[in-house]
Formats: sequence, C-alpha cells, structure tokens
Amino acid sequence: MSAFNPGAFFFYLLAGVTVISAAGVALARNILYSAFALLGTLAGVAGLYLFLGADFLGVAQLLIYIGGILVLILFAVLLTNRIGEVRISNVSSGLIVGAPPAVAVMALCVRVALRTPWPLTEAVPAPTTARLGEAFLQELLLPFEFVSLVLLMALVGAMVIARRAAKEKGVR
Amino acid sequence: MLDNAHSLRAFLPELIVAGTVLAVLFVDLLARRPHVGRAAALTAVGLVAAGAATVMTMRADGYGLFFGLIARDPLADFFKLLFLATNLLVVLISLRAREATDESAAEFFALTLTTTAGMMLMASATDLLTAFLSLETVSIMSYVLAGFRRRSRESAEAALKYVIYGGVASGVMLYGMSLLYGLAGSTSFTAVRLACAHTPAAATVLLAVVLCLAGFGYKIASVPFHMWCPDVYQGAPTPVTAFLSVGPKAAGFALLVRFFGGSLPAELVGAPAPWPILLGLIAAATMTVGNLAALAQTNLKRLLAYSSIAHAGYVLLALCAGGSDGTRAILLYLVTYLFMNLGAFLVIIAVADAGIGEEIAEWRGLGRRAPWAAVAMAIFLFSLTGLPPLAGFFGKFYVFAALLARGGSLMVTLAVIGILNSAVSLYFYARVLKAMYFEAPTVDEPLPLARLHAATLALLAVPTVALFLVWSPLQRFVDSSLGQWYPAEMRPRSAQLDRSVKRSSVQLANTSATK
Repeated sequence: MSAFNPGAFFFYLLAGVTVISAAGVALARNILYSAFALLGTLAGVAGLYLFLGADFLGVAQLLIYIGGILVLILFAVLLTNRIGEVRISNVSSGLIVGAPPAVAVMALCVRVALRTPWPLTEAVPAPTTARLGEAFLQELLLPFEFVSLVLLMALVGAMVIARRAAKEKGVR
Repeated sequence: MLDNAHSLRAFLPELIVAGTVLAVLFVDLLARRPHVGRAAALTAVGLVAAGAATVMTMRADGYGLFFGLIARDPLADFFKLLFLATNLLVVLISLRAREATDESAAEFFALTLTTTAGMMLMASATDLLTAFLSLETVSIMSYVLAGFRRRSRESAEAALKYVIYGGVASGVMLYGMSLLYGLAGSTSFTAVRLACAHTPAAATVLLAVVLCLAGFGYKIASVPFHMWCPDVYQGAPTPVTAFLSVGPKAAGFALLVRFFGGSLPAELVGAPAPWPILLGLIAAATMTVGNLAALAQTNLKRLLAYSSIAHAGYVLLALCAGGSDGTRAILLYLVTYLFMNLGAFLVIIAVADAGIGEEIAEWRGLGRRAPWAAVAMAIFLFSLTGLPPLAGFFGKFYVFAALLARGGSLMVTLAVIGILNSAVSLYFYARVLKAMYFEAPTVDEPLPLARLHAATLALLAVPTVALFLVWSPLQRFVDSSLGQWYPAEMRPRSAQLDRSVKRSSVQLANTSATK
C-alpha cells in the first residue's frame, strides 16, 4: 500500500456515505426513514461534485435537492395520512430469485469499473460558473431552452391530474 | 455544422410545434369556456404548418445543428413527417373521444404536441444529451397522457406503472450512457463511436450498450422491458393508446437507428461487434412473447398491446439486419404500421362511441350490426398479420428480404422465427374476425357510426389497401430518406472536442502500452 492519500480517503468517505444511505433509502421499512436516509445520499453526491471541482453543481445540488426537493418529500410524507402503516403484502417475494442476478450484475459493473482503462483528465480547481454560463448560451442552448418547454408541460400535466382529484373530492 | 443563430431556420418545424403548444394553452386561457373543436383546429393548423416547414426546408444532405447536438438530414425529416402525420390523425381520432378531451381538451392537445416535439428531437439526436432529453420528454408527456382518463382506477394504475417502469429504465440507460461518456470524454455520438472503436475494453462497451438498450427497449416495448405495455395500453384513454403505440415506438426506432448507425462501431477490438446477435435475441424474444401472450387475451386493447409488442419485434429484426436494406425495411414498416395500427384502435373508439365495449365477446355479430366498421377492422387486422393484398405484407416482406439479403445462419434462423410468429399472429387476429362475422349478436339492431369516425376510418383504410397497389412512390421517398445516412458522415461537435478525442485516444494507447 502506498502512503496515506487524503484525496482518495475523502473520495471513499463520500462515496461510502452516498452508497450506505442509498441502501437505507431502498431497504428501510418506514418511508419516513427512507426520506431521511435520502438526505445522506443527496449530501454525499453534493460532496462528490465538490470533490471533483464542480463547485456550482455541488452548491446547486445542496440548494435544490436538499433545500427544496427533500424538504418537499418530507412534507409530503408527514402530511399524508397513514403512509407509514401501509402493509406491503409481498415483502420477501422474489428475494431468492432476484438476489443472484443482482449480485452478478453488481460484480459485472464493479469489474467493468475497475478494469476499463478510462481516459483520465486532471481536475483543475477553478470556478466553473463562467464556463457553465457560456455553455448554456452557446453549445448547450438547445437543451437548456427545450427543458423549459418540457418543465412547463410537466407542470400543466401535473395540474390537470391534480385538478381532477380535487374536483372529485369537491374541493375547488 | 451550424451555430445557434444559423440553426434556427432548419429548426423551424420544431419551433412551430413548440409555438403551437403555447398558442393552444393561451387561447384556452383567454377564452371563456373550453372548446374541443377550437383546440383541435389550432393543433391541426400547427401540425400542418410544421409539416410544410419540414418539406420546405428539406435538403438532400445532412448537416449538424446547434453545434452538432442534433442533425438535420433526410432520415430525420422522414421521421418528423411521420410523427406530425401521427399526431394529426390522433387529433382526428380524439375529437369525439370523451374520455380524452372531455374537460381538458387544450391540455390534452398541448401534451400530444409536446410529445411530438420530443419525438422530432429524438429522431434527430446525434448526442447522448439530446437523446436522453428527448426520450425523457416523450416519457414524461406519455405518463400524463396515460393517466388522462377521468375517475378511472385503471387509468391511474396505468400512469403509475408507466412512471415507475419508466424511471427504472431511464436510470439504467443513464448508467450505460455514463459508461460511454467515460470512455469518450464527450457525449457526441461521433466521439463515442471513435472511443468505442479504439478502446481495448470490449466488455465495457458491451455493458454500456446493453444498459442503454434498457431505455430504448422500454420506449419500443421490447422484451424484457414490455411488462408495462398491456396495462398502460388498456388503462389509458384509447386515443392515447393509439398514439403511444405508434408515435413513441417509431421515435424509439429512430433513436436506435441513429445509436447503432452513428455511435457504435461495427468492430470491437478487431472482431466484428456482437450487435446483430444481441438485437436478434431481443427481436426473437419480443416477437414470440408478444404473439404467444396475445393468444390468451379477451380484451381488444390488451390484445393489440401484445400485438404491438410483437410488431416491435419484427422491426427489431430489420434493425438486426442493419445496413441500408435493414433501415429501409424499418422505415417502410413504420409507415404501414402507422395506418393499420391507428386504424385498428380507431375502430375500437368508433365502436365504443356507439356503446360497445372492448371485450371481444361484445363484438359478436359486429359484421351485421356495423358492416363498414367490421370491414375496416378486417382490413387492419389482415394487414397487421402481413397478408397480401394489404400494405402490411410489404412491410414484413422487406424485413424478411433484408434478413435474407444479409445472409448467414443467424439471419436465416431469425427470418424463420419471424415467419412462424406471423402464422401464430393470424390465429388471434382471426379470433376477432370470427367474433365479428361468425358469431350471432346478442342484439340485432344496427350500430350507427359517427360521420367523423367513418371518414377517418376511410382515411386510414384506403392507404392500407392502396399502398399495396401503389407502392413505388413510398419506396422512392424512403430511399431518398436513406440517401445521406449511408455512409454516416457527421463530424464531432467542435475543434475542442476533436482535440479531446485525440487526447483520450493517445492516453488510451499509452495506458495499454504501459501494461
């Protein structure tokens, strides 16, 4: 083993936090615990972004996913009646059939990740906001603008569905 | 390759569709009460204008738009016209379908228009980023459309299943795309192709492609990503089902053609790439599962859902044959499929409008009660089977011809499986015909068809027959759409990208040398 490498240490720490809390999200029986475990996952991912030199992306992840979406999810969970008491009738079905393929795919992914000669580039510690802004108005203008149409229509669609549910209950 | 400002002219069709989305919504907001006809008319005008713009800005060569994120070439134009026509027909189909346009007609048409815009982008994507973005656009809009039926548990269930399966498929596909990006250091199809051709890690490319196929396979409903299909097709409003079974499926194939033709090399580490075997396996499984499961169905929408899975299998056969022959077969098949499949769903809608449900048992004696609807259904079903003298025959003929022209034991085996499957499909299509013609109806009174439905049925049935008789114009059009695609010629996004590709291949060479 080589000498202690702080970069690698931080990477594995962040990756570990992310993966373990992601497992918590998937495996927790209580949906409230799942929602809280999501905090670790999202924060871990934000840490990874910062670690890789994507400063803006990391902060945006913190603000939007943890500050916005996670809080929204928590509200939804807490305000929904009896969501914690949902009885899942087929908890263990498929575990025996599903486990071997899952393990095999996992092994394959790990093997591919370790064996492939990835072309590496040095992370340059510099602010990325200027470059991002340029990209959004230059070579990535099309996706940037198209997403706005998609989001608008997703909102309209969500409203159509929600409005009906409200009407059925007699709420206006 | 054009920059943003210069791309706008060639991007006019998509701009018109996007503008129509906003126009439909705003007019509905300003008007006092919602009106189905007004929203439909606006939508139709926008679609026709977009089609005219496509034809007017068509060029025989291909070129990149928006720094190479998408391409404008005859292949993309072909698919754009196909999607616009599909959406236009769906507007006609849904005019009288109360389950879709009862309360929120403007929103319904705006959602289909956005789906069309997404499909148009899908057909022209030459970059993993635009490919993913457009695929998600189509998916998200489809989720809402599937859940559009009011007060219906099945519709809500369909939408939810669609969302969950779709989320998983997208996630898996993103992982595959991230592997490709990791190899190439760029999201452009050309750069990915270069990197995959030069990497010594064949297993990585293979895994990435299989994972990407999860996303594409989900869109075209191929095995093993077909489980959502019957539930969604049954639960969604029938016009939406008709739309989903033709539009997004064709868009998925457009993306597959571009992905396999534009971003994957024919050789991996010096050996021929195993794409034909991979696609052949999926195609054979898709056809067989679709046709065998359709045998047991009693609900017509479910039956057509399984049949559409099987048809995705036939088109995958053509993709597996590859080359210009295979791609020609895909395009021809999709055109014939547009008419016969939309037609079959329209008969269900027209008959449902007159009060008959979706169970085959309810269709007994339809030949006597609604002779024209029954004749139209017979035409569409025979065409779906692939029997002459109907358009579906040529669709299948070109698929099998492409396989046999390619030659080799794999291709011949696949052709045989395909033909056996067609024979199986005749059985369940014929069951519907038997119910319509050879079983006595419970009530004898004639079923009047709405005039609009009768006219639209004629609009779909006539091409299904006429395309068989007058095939050469369509074939000429398809051949001209293929012109520039073979051999594929697209350049990386920018000079900077060129450098990064070179740098990474140099690095690759170094790393493999040190080993």
